[in-house]
Amino acid sequence: MADFLSQYSIQRWLEACPQGYLDGTVYGHDPDETEAEEVLTIDSLREASIAVTVQLIAGERCALAASSGLINCAPDDASKMFLATQTLDEARHVEIFTQRLMDLGIKKEDVNSTVADLANPNLVKFAEVLLEKVANKDFVAGVVGQNIVLEGMAFSVFELLQASSAGNPKFAKTLAGTIADERRHVGFGENRIGSLIQEHPEKRPEVEKMQAEMSYYMLATFTDMFSDAGQRMEEAKAIAAQRDENPLDGVSWHGADLMTATPDVMEAVLADTVLGEFKTRLGRIGIEYQSPKVPA
Amino acid sequence: MNDDLDTANSVEFETDSDEAPRRRFELEETGFREVPKRWRKFYRLWDGPGDTLAPNEVICPVCKVVIRSHRELRPGDRVYCMPCMSRLVVARGPDGGLIADVLY
Repeated sequence: MADFLSQYSIQRWLEACPQGYLDGTVYGHDPDETEAEEVLTIDSLREASIAVTVQLIAGERCALAASSGLINCAPDDASKMFLATQTLDEARHVEIFTQRLMDLGIKKEDVNSTVADLANPNLVKFAEVLLEKVANKDFVAGVVGQNIVLEGMAFSVFELLQASSAGNPKFAKTLAGTIADERRHVGFGENRIGSLIQEHPEKRPEVEKMQAEMSYYMLATFTDMFSDAGQRMEEAKAIAAQRDENPLDGVSWHGADLMTATPDVMEAVLADTVLGEFKTRLGRIGIEYQSPKVPA
Repeated sequence: MNDDLDTANSVEFETDSDEAPRRRFELEETGFREVPKRWRKFYRLWDGPGDTLAPNEVICPVCKVVIRSHRELRPGDRVYCMPCMSRLVVARGPDGGLIADVLY
């Protein structure tokens, strides 16, 4: 049974999502919005934006494969219906971030090779851990991996990117829609597993091992992404300083001043935030959080 | 608009005879669009550390949206977070403010 889904329906999803916060949008943003000029004209910023967008596409492709695969191993019809809507959400995310890649100048025929070249190897391994559970039709592990670990990570990463995109309303708007979707997805994960894990306590050790493994690859991805960000962040700050009004002035995220924080500080704040959320969410549903190994 | 609509279950609003009556609140649209129209005024986005909760509001611990009720909330009230589908019970937090715990 999934009582929390008793009021959920495709109709409600239609009213909340396509007829709600996505109404009037084109690829997730307002029709007249374009990428910030400096992102399109300064090579290093454009390359950084492409690199970030590729990771988003890689993550969303994993989420699409996982959510669609989980439909057929869901133990109840209500979960199947929810996962059907989540599958469309994830497909939309793949599409809007792919469109952003093209907006940044990548030709359509080069999208797949660009994603293959730039997707972080640790993020690929993160996805493989999850997709193995889905391939084995392991619903409990699959939902924890997808709707708590992956979505929990995405929730915080999207929030950070949204806060960092104060000067890029198009991308910020795109992210706002995905964050709204993630609220449903993490809600499904917590509520479904919160009851299901009580019925299958024998699953806990395996799920906890998976969480530690996925968390390790997530931290390694963060390390890789921030290790090369120093020069680009300095360049972005210099550009911002030339403006009369700096859109990041006074903007903070979980206590970090986005104007002054170094890449090391931002990596630490992001990692602490995501792992803290994992610990809280897993603790609520009776799964013991496992501290991952720290990447070298 | 149906005035009977609320995020909190009306049967939970019974007030003990020795408690002050609950205050009522008019809810206005907040720009929140993540639920069907008739429910939107019952939710708003949390603005971060500078934000404060009114007596008829509580944060959903699952999705971080602020849930709003027509009436003052008190410990023991059950509320529903439509954006993430969580069923919650209001409790008193360590700092004396209202928090919500998830009911699985």
